[in-house]
Amino acid sequence: MTTPLLQLTGLNVTYAVGDSDVPAVRGVDLTLDPGGTLGVAGESGSGKSTVAMSVLRLLPRTAKIDGEILLDGEDVTTMKWGRLRAVRWAEASVVFQGAMHALNPVRRIGEQIAEPLRLHPPSGKALTDTEVDARVAELLTQVDLPPSRAGAYPHELSGGQKQRVMIAMALACSPRLIIADEPTTALDVIVQAQVLTLLTRLVADRHIGLIMISHDLSVLAATCERIAVMYDGQIVEEGPSAEVMGAPKHEHTRALAAAFPTVGDPVSRFAPATSTPLPPEPPDREAGEPLLAAENLRVSFRDRTGKRIDAVAGVDLTVSRDEIVALVGQSGSGKTTFARTLLGLQKPDSGVVRYDGKPVPASGAGLKAYRRQVQLVLQDPTSALNPAHTVYEAVAEGPRIHQLADERAVVHRALEAAELRPAEKYADRLPHQLSGGQRQRVVIAGALALEPSVVVADEPVASLDASVRGEILGLLLRLRRELGLAALVITHDLGLAWNIADRVAVMYHGELVETGTVEQVLLDPQHEYTKSLLAALPGGTAQRRTVET
Amino acid sequence: MTTAETPRQIAWARRRASLRRTWREFAGQRAALTGLVLLGATVVVALLLPLISDQSGLDVTKATGAPLSPPNGDFWLGTDNFGRSVLLMTVWGTRISLLVGFSAALLSVVIGTLIGITAAHFGGWVSATLLRFTDFFLVLPSLILAIALSAVLPRGVGTIIIAIGLTAWPSTARLVRAQTLTIESRPYIERAHALGGGHLHIIGRHVLPGVMPLVLANTTLVVGNAVIADATLSFLGVGDPNSVTWGLVLENALNNGAISRGAWWNVLPPGIAIVLVVLFFTLVGRGLETVFNPRLKK
Repeated sequence: MTTPLLQLTGLNVTYAVGDSDVPAVRGVDLTLDPGGTLGVAGESGSGKSTVAMSVLRLLPRTAKIDGEILLDGEDVTTMKWGRLRAVRWAEASVVFQGAMHALNPVRRIGEQIAEPLRLHPPSGKALTDTEVDARVAELLTQVDLPPSRAGAYPHELSGGQKQRVMIAMALACSPRLIIADEPTTALDVIVQAQVLTLLTRLVADRHIGLIMISHDLSVLAATCERIAVMYDGQIVEEGPSAEVMGAPKHEHTRALAAAFPTVGDPVSRFAPATSTPLPPEPPDREAGEPLLAAENLRVSFRDRTGKRIDAVAGVDLTVSRDEIVALVGQSGSGKTTFARTLLGLQKPDSGVVRYDGKPVPASGAGLKAYRRQVQLVLQDPTSALNPAHTVYEAVAEGPRIHQLADERAVVHRALEAAELRPAEKYADRLPHQLSGGQRQRVVIAGALALEPSVVVADEPVASLDASVRGEILGLLLRLRRELGLAALVITHDLGLAWNIADRVAVMYHGELVETGTVEQVLLDPQHEYTKSLLAALPGGTAQRRTVET
Repeated sequence: MTTAETPRQIAWARRRASLRRTWREFAGQRAALTGLVLLGATVVVALLLPLISDQSGLDVTKATGAPLSPPNGDFWLGTDNFGRSVLLMTVWGTRISLLVGFSAALLSVVIGTLIGITAAHFGGWVSATLLRFTDFFLVLPSLILAIALSAVLPRGVGTIIIAIGLTAWPSTARLVRAQTLTIESRPYIERAHALGGGHLHIIGRHVLPGVMPLVLANTTLVVGNAVIADATLSFLGVGDPNSVTWGLVLENALNNGAISRGAWWNVLPPGIAIVLVVLFFTLVGRGLETVFNPRLKK
């Protein structure tokens, strides 16, 4: 029997916060064989990153580690500092979360990839510059980047390219284990698919062990043989990917799995993962008249050289009463600019926005009245709320601007509608005392307080945890069914569209390339771009794999 | 209506708690606390002066001492060339210095905050115009401008206040503009726009409360500068000749030959008084800045 590459036995990690100890990881046992791949899933705060970082003892000083961490049979917790330094990167390396910030912006990427090589020369003696350059070129080729890019600075690379550089760095000293901490979070679907394929290929070719951490089960299922699900510092479920994904036993795993629905699965159509049951579809539902309409909308910006760049290039889109429209596209496709233009926050170069058939005025009392009808929900609820304002003040902001009568009742109604019950309990809290999902509900309540007829939500769940995601989507769907509230949801996530939307519009380079009902567009895509978006979904890969085996 | 009162009470309780936290952080810095205590003592003494000392000693005609007598039992810090007590004059000088310092700082901070917020909030040509205007005042030698202003305006304490206030605001305006730009880039400003909030709403509800702490810290530093500017103007002879100020005491010492006759007790007391008051304000201002500016926290 071979020694496992990594064996964690009874791992406990506690952080000393003030005078008290906060347990982050409680009794975790994990084993990874050489060349094996293991996914660790969990929400933020579940302790998954702490587990991964403890392997290389990269935790802050306040962390107290109990238990055994055997890396290739050697206990990391008792290693001397010199030995630990040698083990870091040469035996095990890390692909850090957020490639955008993990690279030094003022150094060329070639130098940064070479850094571990110079610190840990493979043969024991320092490498010459030509040897280092050759190795850097080899590494860049491995991650599908042209070796000539070694002279580039991080800002000259796209997000996906930066993540490849991070992977090249991790591979530099030919480690036996790679820990990838959320390697594809914040990347577009198509780029994510490329990075995942690359990681899978490299790991298989080189017989490297891989631990991948993610909140997205479908990403893990696409790359890992086995998945461990963490919840509140403990492993609640562990098993082969297909089993965990297909037949989750623990309810938390079920929540995680349901949060990322498979497009085309009839079970998750109009059924976001929410604990409160949804009201039934109103019986007399018919296609309403267009409420909010954009006609040939065009917005352009000037870049540094003064060249005009069309962010939105002639878009026609309507949102009707009692309808949820999903606007899908990758970052930079112009969808946020389009939303801001709809709300009158950005002036269009040409084209009109019509509300209820009438053009929206550009300023003055008319615009103010329009803004009562159409409301915005922003992506990141943490920054969308003034940290110094209480929930009550944040929700009352709109009613005060529009001088609505009986402010207290309006605010309480809005809070209850956004499912913050009882309203009194939340009214006096500050944003930092709430969880991410509750904050997003406050932002939604702030919009609902004006009793709008349309809500424009810009990536409303992108910065939220998986289990909260379903609740917020459920809320939007419930509001539509109960109040007839129309919504334009902007997202990069096709699963979201499948969950709640009636119609989908796909945006690419500022233009709408495909519009239609969810079933039409997602099940029978016509445009090449829509097809590539769908093909890049990790759920798609997982399904294909299950079919193959 | 007990339920209607609750949120307000809770809001006040939170405000009190945050004030307490600010105070704890401030009081944790020994230098800042020392500065505050000594500054408080100075202000109290200045306010109580008419009760605890005799103003008539400042009158040239009623002076009792011999001219330029060195420090002795009757006059602890000696006398000037009219026979007035230097100690009495120095202590009374505190009143005008503090009055001018506070008023001028208030005036300059109000102007600076107004221009800073307006420039940052409206942007475009408004910002360009206001910033060039600010730059103009920033490069103008403020002392010469102040001298010119006090020469044109009628003599008096009010003139000195206006002269200093109108020349000291550009740095505050720059600071406030930078802070406003930071706040206005936050998404909650976008949310307020989308809710239909106008300029007044955004400035009043979001920008001003966010800028205020820094402005407060800045004010205390500006007061110190204003005290120095006041002493300089009086020393140069453009101040109010009828009120006793530190600058005026120094000017008298120079004009009446006290310095050439080696009467150090006419020069050192007002000079040291200026240094001390400015030091107190700087200590308090730095302390406040450390509390309010997260980047200065270790």
